[in-house]
Amino acid sequence: MHFIPNLYLDPGSGSILIQIAIAVLLGLGVALRASWGSIKKLFGVKPKQEEDDDSENVQS
Amino acid sequence: MSKAEQLSASFRDPSGFLFTDKGILYRQINRAYSNDYARLIDSGLYGRLVKANLLIPHVESDQLPAKSEAAFKVIQPERVPFISYPYEWSFSQLKDAALATLSIQKRALKLDMSLKDASAYNIQFVRGKATLIDTLSFEAYKEGQPWVAYKQFCQHFLAPLALMSYRDVRLSQLMRVYIDGVPLDLASELLPAKTKFNFGLLTHIHIHASAQKRYSDKAVAPRAMGMNKQALTGLIESLENTINKLTWKPAGTEWGDYYENTNYTDSAFEHKKVLVREWSVEKNPALVWDLGGNTGVFSREAASSGAFTVSFDIDPAAVEQNYRTVRSNKEQNVLPLILDLTNPSPSLGWDNRERDSFGARGPVDMALALAIIHHLAISNNVPLPQLADFFAARCTWLVIEFVPKSDSQVKKLLASREDIFPNYTREGFEAAFGSRFKIHKAEAVRDSERTLYLMEVRS
Repeated sequence: MHFIPNLYLDPGSGSILIQIAIAVLLGLGVALRASWGSIKKLFGVKPKQEEDDDSENVQS
Repeated sequence: MSKAEQLSASFRDPSGFLFTDKGILYRQINRAYSNDYARLIDSGLYGRLVKANLLIPHVESDQLPAKSEAAFKVIQPERVPFISYPYEWSFSQLKDAALATLSIQKRALKLDMSLKDASAYNIQFVRGKATLIDTLSFEAYKEGQPWVAYKQFCQHFLAPLALMSYRDVRLSQLMRVYIDGVPLDLASELLPAKTKFNFGLLTHIHIHASAQKRYSDKAVAPRAMGMNKQALTGLIESLENTINKLTWKPAGTEWGDYYENTNYTDSAFEHKKVLVREWSVEKNPALVWDLGGNTGVFSREAASSGAFTVSFDIDPAAVEQNYRTVRSNKEQNVLPLILDLTNPSPSLGWDNRERDSFGARGPVDMALALAIIHHLAISNNVPLPQLADFFAARCTWLVIEFVPKSDSQVKKLLASREDIFPNYTREGFEAAFGSRFKIHKAEAVRDSERTLYLMEVRS
């Protein structure tokens, strides 16, 4: 697979195909959420706090 | 090459490897990995992950590389006090390790990096938290690239967690059989049919398993169509949601009332706690193994002396409860683990040298063997001299409790079988252990028929 350099794990053909299928589906959700955020922003609703990169390793 | 020795588990990834020299642990980074390493540091990802206790800290070292032709750099990572394996973890430990891996991947993607592996063996419990110990697990993320570690993540984390949650918690032991995680077709077969109505398990395990089977002998070169960062984030979040929803709670009486089914009086129990604490403070061990540690009450007495204490027990429910205590009290030096002392973790993997056996991870400064001897000597029929040999190979100091036949717990064990243990007496015990240990103290435990010993191994 030309787009993955220095591969040392075998990602598995089936595993790649299925994750692309799932990801495309779920990516739509992420995209919708993002655009919903900007629509809300248009109307002056403050966006929800994104996960803070410096937040602790909180293990529930 | 110096006298440096490459670690036997560190050979798969060409990015680098671990070696020790004069007892210090180093990681060599190979030239092939130099760009990714630079990116890890320069992007700020390393700093953020270390600050969040998600990645092991390291310092760059002047140590000579072990294999100089390929070398780019040598780093010295912080040493993990005790290496444990997923088949020794309770449900919540494996779950936290899975969530830590996904949290790392999400943070990495934000800075245009991605995990190139998602092995449960790359996670260790450091200061009580699930922490990635492989600094070389990151690579630059290229738009369109799928997650190469997706299959490994599902095998190492999702499949065993789903089996533990939906079928039986003891299925974590499949990790002991399958070194690269539970095969998804096996997980799919063992999981109850109702898991097909759970979107995450349907897709990441059941459909994933069929896709693997269907395409097993076909090479695919999928165009990067649609697999942008948003799609990848959706995939990671879906795994996160699926794992967050998996739970396990032991049913009924197993849970919670461990010390209520014993014959201890409060004063005997307190007396034992005091003795363990005093002797731990007196001998000041760095590393303690509590063998048969239950929910960790006595492990915490030893740990209060400052020792890092590994609390082993055979019962997944006790270990689960112990780990939840560690988490809620934010304890940094108690590590609960599942271990069957009558069949402890063996050496596993390539050449039997990838995962160390229980014994090979010792010996330690001090071991506790409280209320366990009757289980080993009577339930498991191990003769006392062999028990003495076993403990002598594993510790310098031994705190061991002798439980006589007149004790109600031992009476219970003997109720259903013939007493074939004529030597199981206090005298027999002292003779057997006295030949391998110097007995420093023998204290009668208040309000009981038991005796607590402090012994030092004879060299």
